[in-house]
Amino acid sequence: MEAKGLFNVARKELIDHLTSRRFIIILALFLIISASGMHEGINRYNQQLESYKELISQIKEVEGIEPGYMPERPSIMLVFLFMSRQIMMLGAILAIAMGFDLVSEEKETRSLKSLLSCPVFRDEIINGKALGGTLALVFAMGAALLISLAVLLIFSIVPSMNELAAILVFGLVSILFLLAYFAIALMISTISGKSGSALIYTLVIFFILGSILPIVGGTVADMVCGDQPKSPPVVVTNMSEEEMQQYNEVLMAWSEKRKPIIEAFTVISPNMNYERILNKICSSSSVTTTYGDEAPGLQDVLGRVWKNILALISFSVVFFALAYVKFMRMDIR
Amino acid sequence: MIKTENLTKVYNGKKAVDGLNLEIAEGDIFGFLGPNGAGKSTTILMLVGMIEPTEGKCFINDIEVARNPLKVKEIIGYLPEDVGFYGIMTAEQNLDYFARFYPMDADERKKRIGELLELVQLDGVSQKVGGYSRGMTQRLGLAKALLNDPEVLFLDEPTANLDPEGVFQYRELIKQLSDEGKTIFVSSHILSEVSKVCNTIGIISKGTLIARGTLEELKNEFGRVGAENLRIIVETIEPLPEIEHGDIINAAYSETKRKVIIEAKSDLRDYISSRLLEEGVKIKEMRMEEPTLEDVFLSVYRR
Repeated sequence: MEAKGLFNVARKELIDHLTSRRFIIILALFLIISASGMHEGINRYNQQLESYKELISQIKEVEGIEPGYMPERPSIMLVFLFMSRQIMMLGAILAIAMGFDLVSEEKETRSLKSLLSCPVFRDEIINGKALGGTLALVFAMGAALLISLAVLLIFSIVPSMNELAAILVFGLVSILFLLAYFAIALMISTISGKSGSALIYTLVIFFILGSILPIVGGTVADMVCGDQPKSPPVVVTNMSEEEMQQYNEVLMAWSEKRKPIIEAFTVISPNMNYERILNKICSSSSVTTTYGDEAPGLQDVLGRVWKNILALISFSVVFFALAYVKFMRMDIR
Repeated sequence: MIKTENLTKVYNGKKAVDGLNLEIAEGDIFGFLGPNGAGKSTTILMLVGMIEPTEGKCFINDIEVARNPLKVKEIIGYLPEDVGFYGIMTAEQNLDYFARFYPMDADERKKRIGELLELVQLDGVSQKVGGYSRGMTQRLGLAKALLNDPEVLFLDEPTANLDPEGVFQYRELIKQLSDEGKTIFVSSHILSEVSKVCNTIGIISKGTLIARGTLEELKNEFGRVGAENLRIIVETIEPLPEIEHGDIINAAYSETKRKVIIEAKSDLRDYISSRLLEEGVKIKEMRMEEPTLEDVFLSVYRR
């Protein structure tokens, strides 16, 4: 495959995205609402930090007592958790807005015939569109991350090296999430004859994957596993160790039974995968406690959510592949 | 220059093009005629490398299109029937984007685009293509087809949406391109346009080439509609006498008897002019109606 055609298409698509009114408006909304989400996150972080400092000072005042529980210092990744909500909504909409008419509009305006009469392979065209869109999404996410870092610095919050690494991983995972929806939109655009229909189908898929699946997953798990075992009565001091252990075992068994069902639904939902990964990343950047119990490092955490990361990557790969195959076989008449 | 060997395209079990064998010489202006659904556009799409044939081969300059589509696209230009562009870009931006696919450097591109926009009278038009009229889009399509100074040009309904001046300029351009040695393949429903511009004509029906030749050859072979009848129209200054001859099938006189339309089995103009001279009747006009391309087309198509 000659690269010249691919890069020519990608260049044009990238410029089109970055200069399109639709992209600019949705990106502006996304950045503004993300910044607002960050502001809320920073307030929450500061509140938790104050509580943490108070607790620590109270603990230090009491000499000779070793508390059974040491509070974790809040992580600034908490701020990015708030931002991730906007990414899941507006970011996904941005990705869909970029992809839904990439091919269908060319068919509608007949520019595809003009393009295909040039010395360019079909696969260069579809790959160029995918590349151009990906670069535009990377730009959007990059802009969001830069603004978030700027906001942190404005509030005199300086991330540690560990936290910077976690922020970078957050950015990469967010791009993977956006790419999943971009790929879905591109695929629908390729199979649909009209841009209007492509948009509706993509939004329906977004709604199903983002909102319906998590609910259905929980419902199916409840139907199969039954309700959560009832906790023992409040007056715990009257409960024997044996009864406590029994309850914990029943609860554990119930959770283990539920887990694969929830996992199955998580894997097929980009939103649930994304949430799962982010929750783990945010917990990885907690600071060492006084007792030396380290929170799991970033590498360990990524190791635990590798299936979710793979699922996110698979979404993009599978839907890009479907778009590719469909485009290559498309009837141009 | 353009050659097809048993070219066939099947869609959903139905042959859109069926065993087409065609050869068009370099520098020829070939007109491709046929009713709707005959296979004209499908043939062109295969020749320009946008779709692959189900069977058979096609060649442009001895390059097999299906095996080397990019090489072929570098030497051809194509104006589709329903040409489209990117509405958010200007004419210059559209042409620049397409020109980047050809082996041209930036200076060449800029120069070529400037020349072409001037040729199609779109130079100085700064509005985006989305706001163009159909005629302007068609002219831009022609400019795009000439971007790479092609050796072979494929034009599908080139005069659609053009006003009379646009049609006139198109005809002049085609003649100029032909004089430059380019081979031009024109597919059109507008028979008068084909007859005015094309040297050779091919008629396709249900995917098969059913007639091919110069206009004269086709007229001679297929031109007479009905049973070999000729129509001779005579207009005189004085009233006409009755003209009788064994080959006359019908003679329709006007009310004033100064005009007659004669249907005859043979060319009776010599006889008629002698007869009128004897009677002292002055002839204002006498002509034999030649079969038009429309007559040829209908005659061939109805066979």
